[in-house]
Amino acid sequence: MAQAVTAVKKPKRKKGGDFIRRSRGEKIFSAFNLLIMILLLCFFLYPLLNMLSISCSNEYAVLRAEVTFYPIGFNPQAYNMILASEDIWRSVGNSTFVVVVGCVSSLIMLSMAAYPLAFAKFYGKKVYTSIILFTMWFSGGIIPTFLTIMKLGLYDTLWSLIFNSMISAYYVVIVRSYFASIPISVVESARIDGANDFKILFKLILPLSKPVLATVALWVIVGHWNDYLNALLFISSKKNYTLQLVLKELTLNAESSTYNISMTSSSTTGGAAALGQQVRNAVLVVAMIPMCILYPFVQRYFVSGIMLGSVKG
Amino acid sequence: MHSNDAGKSGVVNEGNIFNSARVRKLVKLRMWRNRYIYLMILPVLIYFILFKYLPMWFLRTAFYDYKLLKGFDGSKYVGFKYFIRLFTNPNLMNYIGNTLILNFSALIFLFPAPLIFAILLNELRNNRFMKFVQTVSYLPHFVSTVVLVSMITTLISPSYGSLAALAKALGQTPLNYLSIPEYFVPINVVSGFWQAVGWEAVIYVATLAGIDHGLYEAARIDGANRWQQTLHVTLPGLANTFVLLLIMQIGRLLSINFEKVYLLQNTLNLSASEMLPTFVYKTGMESHNYGYATAAGLFNSVCSVILVLIANTVSSKVSDTSLF
Repeated sequence: MAQAVTAVKKPKRKKGGDFIRRSRGEKIFSAFNLLIMILLLCFFLYPLLNMLSISCSNEYAVLRAEVTFYPIGFNPQAYNMILASEDIWRSVGNSTFVVVVGCVSSLIMLSMAAYPLAFAKFYGKKVYTSIILFTMWFSGGIIPTFLTIMKLGLYDTLWSLIFNSMISAYYVVIVRSYFASIPISVVESARIDGANDFKILFKLILPLSKPVLATVALWVIVGHWNDYLNALLFISSKKNYTLQLVLKELTLNAESSTYNISMTSSSTTGGAAALGQQVRNAVLVVAMIPMCILYPFVQRYFVSGIMLGSVKG
Repeated sequence: MHSNDAGKSGVVNEGNIFNSARVRKLVKLRMWRNRYIYLMILPVLIYFILFKYLPMWFLRTAFYDYKLLKGFDGSKYVGFKYFIRLFTNPNLMNYIGNTLILNFSALIFLFPAPLIFAILLNELRNNRFMKFVQTVSYLPHFVSTVVLVSMITTLISPSYGSLAALAKALGQTPLNYLSIPEYFVPINVVSGFWQAVGWEAVIYVATLAGIDHGLYEAARIDGANRWQQTLHVTLPGLANTFVLLLIMQIGRLLSINFEKVYLLQNTLNLSASEMLPTFVYKTGMESHNYGYATAAGLFNSVCSVILVLIANTVSSKVSDTSLF
């Protein structure tokens, strides 16, 4: 396992050296390939740049569809409006709560679920394994899940979101396969020294498992922050709305008036409509900021994490 | 060893090894030694029972005229009424058709794309440029579905979207593509490509980096050009990963895509966009007919399990790769 992780780094190619003779066909291919990559690069970046540019452009330029991948006539008014909106701040707070509590509790529960599978022999292990794995292939579906959350009295609480995706069988398998790469002698010698399994897990195994924990934490954080379906199912009152629910109402239902983001400050109705566009896009930008902050930190872990997932399927 | 010993003494003592006091004692000892393991499992098991298996128990809602406030005791048992209603629903074939078209079009166009992208990426001469392209390519993965759909509506808006500006520049009248059913599948595929191709290529790029460099050198010495190297070294190196990912993708086939399709839906494109999961959601959460919705959802889940089993059987026949 550790080898699979380190093997991910691409071996450095010698400059020139290997590739002395290149036929004409290969040169044409290289040029063509470069062109495709540049086009793809534009394709990946354009929607994001467009969103960013619209959010801070002059409203008339937005209305005339002149804004493409750079802002025209800088105007940060939309951001001022968003920052002044209490509802958006509250939803950001709700989402942050779900992300933080959800991530910590997921990591603890996942390691507790995976440790017995990797390091222990006990009666009922087979049953325990099947109980977990079965949920990978079959689930109750959205309506029964909703009814369960109702029954458990979690409806319209942020805890419903945290609990509903706390342990996923897929992540258990990934954490377990990482644990399995740790030599069992580490655990055995600690047992001989009289440490109990909880102590071994939290003091010994978890510090050794940072790469897999970081990867799973990333997935859980992204999952919670971007989750729309569960919030749609389980949350009903405005005070518990998560960011994605507010985003949906603001950008797709055009219900900005209910969010106290008034457009009366613009003098003409045309300006108001265009400013609506700016607000829509500015909200999207704000929603993406945490993910963009997370992104560089996590990059070095997540390739190895994906490999972990693929090894054991 | 232990059980052998216990077995002998059991035969002598009571004639039944399972009643042997010694075996029971050993079992107890072993369980006592693992007491912390059982303590660790306990919250996990409770979690799985409450949040994964209780919903399955609630699948019997499909046989009830379920009332939210009354529970099963207060609700009327209706047998197969909702299944009959589902299978006689004149729109069912339309929903199934849309489910299949939306999912399989995404599978056919999007599944090979990351593989091709990864190979092209690997063929880039400049390592730093390659890293840059790859880094940019998986950024869309972090965009939530709500943001994605908002971006789509902004881009293709006929009045202020970039696509409309492009159409005008080319001398065409911009259309509102979201309200035309024929465009729904292409919109779904293109946006799916944008969001997923970079992320899904990560695993292929990593596998490619793991292919023994000596294989390429050997091929070159044998006179293979770059195309032949790709065909005979790179592709076989990726085959196992490809099949494994394909099976997993097929397993998720009927459950993914709900959020995006639901958010892209409007009354005008419904004929191309209403699929089983969105029908389940609307029946249950908007019309509050929980029994009917559960029946339709159960039908969807069963189809999806069957798909996994078929995919797995086919792949274990064709190649040696299978999940179980």
